[in-house]
Amino acid sequence: MLFKISLSGVKSRWKDYLVLFSGMMITTAIFYMFEAISTNDKFTTSSPVGQNAKFVFIFGSILLAIITLVYVFYANNFLMSMRKHDYGLFMMLGAKSKVISKLIILETLVIGLASTFVGIILGVGFTKGLSGLLSSQIHVSLTNFSAFYMPAVWATLILFLVLFVIAGLVNARTFTKTSALNLLRSNQESDWKDPKKRTLFVQAVGGLVLLAIGYYAMYDINHLQLLAIGIGLITIVLGTYFVFNSFFVMILEAVQRSNTSYKGLNNFTISQLKFRIRDYTKILSVVSLLFALALGAITVGIGFQRMVPMMAAGNNAYAVGLTNPSPKMKSLVGDIDGKAQVTYQQKVDPGSKSVYYRASQFEAQPFKYAHFTNQAQLKSKIDNASLTQLKDRASTAYAGLNNLQAPLTRNLRIRLVSDTTFNRINAKANTLLLVRVNDMDAAATTLSKITNLQTRQYGKKVSEGLGVGGAYETYQLLKGVFGSLEFMGIFLGIAFLAMLASCLMFKILSGAASDKARFEMLNKIGARKSVLNRSIAVQILGLFILPAVLGIIDVAFGLQMFIKANLLHGAYQTFGWSVLGFSILYLIYYGITVMIYSKIVVPKTKVEK
Amino acid sequence: MTTEIVRTKDLHKIYDQNGPKPYEALKGITFSVQQGEFVGIMGASGSGKTTLLNIMATLDQPTSGSVEIDGKDVTNLTANQMSDFRSEKLGFIFQDFNLLETLTAQENIALPLSLQNKKPGETKQAVEAATKKLGIDDLLSKYPTQLSGGQKQRVAAARALVANPSIIFGDEPTGALDSTNARELLDTLTNINQQGVSILLVTHDPFSASFCKRILFIKDGKIGDEIDADGKSRNEFYQQILEKLGTFEQ
Repeated sequence: MLFKISLSGVKSRWKDYLVLFSGMMITTAIFYMFEAISTNDKFTTSSPVGQNAKFVFIFGSILLAIITLVYVFYANNFLMSMRKHDYGLFMMLGAKSKVISKLIILETLVIGLASTFVGIILGVGFTKGLSGLLSSQIHVSLTNFSAFYMPAVWATLILFLVLFVIAGLVNARTFTKTSALNLLRSNQESDWKDPKKRTLFVQAVGGLVLLAIGYYAMYDINHLQLLAIGIGLITIVLGTYFVFNSFFVMILEAVQRSNTSYKGLNNFTISQLKFRIRDYTKILSVVSLLFALALGAITVGIGFQRMVPMMAAGNNAYAVGLTNPSPKMKSLVGDIDGKAQVTYQQKVDPGSKSVYYRASQFEAQPFKYAHFTNQAQLKSKIDNASLTQLKDRASTAYAGLNNLQAPLTRNLRIRLVSDTTFNRINAKANTLLLVRVNDMDAAATTLSKITNLQTRQYGKKVSEGLGVGGAYETYQLLKGVFGSLEFMGIFLGIAFLAMLASCLMFKILSGAASDKARFEMLNKIGARKSVLNRSIAVQILGLFILPAVLGIIDVAFGLQMFIKANLLHGAYQTFGWSVLGFSILYLIYYGITVMIYSKIVVPKTKVEK
Repeated sequence: MTTEIVRTKDLHKIYDQNGPKPYEALKGITFSVQQGEFVGIMGASGSGKTTLLNIMATLDQPTSGSVEIDGKDVTNLTANQMSDFRSEKLGFIFQDFNLLETLTAQENIALPLSLQNKKPGETKQAVEAATKKLGIDDLLSKYPTQLSGGQKQRVAAARALVANPSIIFGDEPTGALDSTNARELLDTLTNINQQGVSILLVTHDPFSASFCKRILFIKDGKIGDEIDADGKSRNEFYQQILEKLGTFEQ
């Protein structure tokens, strides 16, 4: 009987349940998406990053599981905030707490399992979509990767099952320990106490100082080494907490004291925000730190990838060197938006272990070689090679030319000789076509076709182990390594962001029920609906934007760590774009939260014309 | 010469009019409240008193009939006009105080004026005037959690009074108070009323009602009876209410 009543309770609030259900579904899908990569040993170990990636993923899995736990906890709070009154009523009617416990656990499990199943299906779809999109966008080929992966399904299923059992037990405990009367009067008043001014000030200053120390530690990583990460972790976590608990509250109090607070619902809005920030300090700090982690993962991931052309450019002035190119290869070269092409004649004499070139050709069309002027900052320069340089086996120019020759001739000595000597050599004359490109990323597709043709021409035996040479080869190699890093960074970042934004959303929504009375009163004393809606939008914006701002600042300083350690270059460009993309995703969550919240708390006027 | 502050004419309210089970909560209510009057509306649960209050307070619309407050027909306003009307012309005192816990008493009282976007200086003056009337100047910087039930309700009364409304509506304002605090609040309301503010109290408590000058009894959506204090002492009036209730409810 009670089950029937319980079911009818769910039916009557199916819209709220739909929100909860879809939220859980998406969380499951995200977790699955992540597990699809991390549990897939074949994929992680076959990718050039190899074992290092495994570590990143184990770390990521644990973090994600923790956020999921927090998420499930908040989502359940939201669920229970909707059911409090009903359960209170059952208890009032004489239902035993054992029966209520059973009912709660059952309800939590049914919703949990249903959302997990649908979520996994959705997750397979997400994984397929996102991996397809990413691999086509960043030109990474994902071998051994499949969207449906059984171990990932198991990992997701088991984790969520455990989480929901825990959540159900916790819910049942809280409920049976609360008296029926308290459940019925669940719109209890909050116990807001104005924080003491001095404590507030000390905490605010302390928080800012801690953050400053953390930021400095990351900036000074070269000097502090591993200690920088330790210091950063501790000071930034504590600093973030104090900044939320006090600094933001202090700023809001200052605003409240100004005359603007006398306008409309400003005072109410600010004081609500102040109250919420203090009430939500922990979750806001976690959201801020996770925001930083997610944004950092994406920025660093993309940042590495962006360095690839720079690294390739310093490696060789020419993208490819083609020995005796076929007409098809030549026509493909013609398609490239190239800087320059140059052709040299060569004769290979295995007897004297030499490759001969006409010196006159190198005088007429100097060979260009690339060299790093600042290896740490990946700054490189291209110069014309002199004949002396090209004769010196130890020179960068010599190595550059050597690398552009056909693989089997690379262990032979390069010799520049006069035209007469060259003509006398009894060997077939080859042409070596060297191609320079303006934009490696733009030319990548055509270059790939050309090198494939060249490899086929060299023959399988020759090309095994040895590539076709040139900057493009370096580019391709690095792209493989960093591309998968980027893929993981973006994947991880999006998964984190979606999860933390959902957490924040449900934490805010679970407080909506107790806000209802306040908004009803405001409506009665004459606050227009538009004014109420604006107040909600501002309050929730505050809760969303503050952790994001702090997270962005964290990353802005955190990137210094990678820059100073010479791991990343041009990071701030990537950072800007990542922030933009991130903000859009985040804003969508904000919009949804405002919409649902308003629907719950803003009273429906019976007189809407 | 006294003027009418509230005037309702043949008010009908039918819920679920086109549904399978239409329910008529108000069946033609006509009455008026004069400027400076203290009127009580009494009735059992389901008699229609809350519906009547909601319609007068522009929170609901009648199916037919009209309500004029301070000479203005409020039954044909848009939602925004109604909100503005409530903030400018009406004061509310609710059973459960409905103060915002995150605002100080002073800020709570200032809310209706903020909604009208009054200048800060003007607001401060009005808040001072209202709190002086109620003798709660010393509570201004306190938060609701630091106040007793009676104090909270007096803050709520100050909030109802602050915008100089045409009339104050009280919806069981003593419902959540103990007898001492209830008595204090009713004395306060009497005091406010003596200063010329019109009050309309909805209650089912005869003691609260005995502070009114006139009482309308509602039964099944109609005004069934009406009694006037007419110079009687409060105690005598209380007895009369009890008698009336005894016969009226049967």
